[in-house]
Amino acid sequence: MSIKYQNLQGNHACALGAIAAGCRFFAGYPITPSSEIAERMSLELPKHEGVFIQMEDEIASMGAILGASMGGVKAMTATSGPGFSLKQENIGYAAGAEIPCVIANVMRGGPSTGMPTRPAQSDLMQARWGSHGGHPLIVITPGSVREIFDETVRAFQLSEKIRTPVIVLYDEVLGHLVETLPLSGAAHKITERKWADESPETFMPYAETTDLIPPMPRPGDGYRTHTTGLTHAEDGFPTQNPETVVKAMKRMLDKFELHQSEIESYETVCCEDAEVLVMTVGISARAAKHAVKTARQEGIKAGLFRPITLWPFPEKAFKKIISKVKTVVVPEMNTGQLSLEMERLCPKKTKIKSINRIDGEAIAPKEILSLLQSVAKK
Amino acid sequence: MKEIQIRLSGTGGQGLQLSAKMLAESLIQEGCQIAQSQSYEPTSRGGLSRADLVIGDEIPDYPLVTNLSALLIMDQLAAHASTDLIQPGGLVITDSKRVEDPPKGDFNLHALPLTETALKLGSARVANIIALGAMITLRDICKPAALESAVRRNAPRAFLELNIEALKTGFEMATKLS
Repeated sequence: MSIKYQNLQGNHACALGAIAAGCRFFAGYPITPSSEIAERMSLELPKHEGVFIQMEDEIASMGAILGASMGGVKAMTATSGPGFSLKQENIGYAAGAEIPCVIANVMRGGPSTGMPTRPAQSDLMQARWGSHGGHPLIVITPGSVREIFDETVRAFQLSEKIRTPVIVLYDEVLGHLVETLPLSGAAHKITERKWADESPETFMPYAETTDLIPPMPRPGDGYRTHTTGLTHAEDGFPTQNPETVVKAMKRMLDKFELHQSEIESYETVCCEDAEVLVMTVGISARAAKHAVKTARQEGIKAGLFRPITLWPFPEKAFKKIISKVKTVVVPEMNTGQLSLEMERLCPKKTKIKSINRIDGEAIAPKEILSLLQSVAKK
Repeated sequence: MKEIQIRLSGTGGQGLQLSAKMLAESLIQEGCQIAQSQSYEPTSRGGLSRADLVIGDEIPDYPLVTNLSALLIMDQLAAHASTDLIQPGGLVITDSKRVEDPPKGDFNLHALPLTETALKLGSARVANIIALGAMITLRDICKPAALESAVRRNAPRAFLELNIEALKTGFEMATKLS
């Protein structure tokens, strides 16, 4: 049987991935270049007995998905630059209170209103550190339309399983890119949240379980629970007792360490004997892949390391590769965010070379290739 | 097949994104895979607008255009924006009314009366469809029947016949040239 194909836009792939993962609630406020996610969700959710709400702003949208998630429904929102800034406080609440939710941020030129229709990769650090208080979370950076679909599914799986906000982060080019995909009827694994099933009398909403993920009380199941942004003890009520605070924070942070193998995801191209390694994400990684393959044809020992889960950074895998690498090339559409992470992770002898663009244009393969060629000549 | 890269350029509101979508739909019917990208300004009408297609047997590593096989220029605003990307001997079609100063270089330039002919058919808004018809005839990008069925699926019902007439006018305009 011949496979049927369709042309699908990145933002639509995000919406369809969410539906496939079991998302049944979307609250948002439209903003270029993410609006097609909301638009598609408004068409898809009613067909799946889900709820779509256009809220009055981004703060309310983020609040609404947290309420929906605590109500037991898989929920997401989508936004860009200025809207992402507005969501940050509630993203921190989700991290602190361990409420599963998915936030898509389609990056455009900034700062502030910036260039709404032009691409950038300037929220890579904001996605990790935009909210206050030293919170953990997961950031996924897909690199194609197909991957936006698959990684949105995975974002929901991780979010539900690990009880954390997950950010799906990609640039405007990928958001508006249309690529040919096989039409697939394959069912995706829908991750069910771990629901509390013990006696309501002894239930502790933030109990330290062996997997470090406390089961959530399903509304209507008879559990009395308390959710707060204040630092809380295992019973969910506020505390500032130093020992309790450290214990609670440690469990929350250790949870990510314990489940790291499931969180971690990356792609390597020709890394085995690479002397010059390109490290980047999103559309810049597509240019890098082209440049690395061309460089290989010219006999240059080039490779590509592409984090698919950007945060937490796939450190162990990267460190295995980096030991043999002489130069790391970091192309990114900002003034140097990933290059900071490279300075942190690379041995002192490794040279780090940046390619930065902030003019609203994508980095072309030839820009990366010419740097690879000049590095190889030295 | 050898990779083909196409750009449709002009100003916002000329139907360039929809034209690229229709062309992309025709191409998957013929077993090709495409990467379609776009660029526009934050205005609903006007501003530089372009719709790009990279066409091949599989999705390319880099999905944006770098080496254009065919370029459509529907407005003076877009006339010189893509000159560096045109491959030697590439096809360039301009609207003879709206592009007064076309690009110059080592490529096959055809200044066609797209807007003028569209107005004669009844609406300047089908100039993009005439251009599509002419482009696929001059560069053999996809079969006319595949494009016609894509136009039928995507054109507004009230203007379907006008769009089909525009497409056929585009085929004829190019056939006369070649």
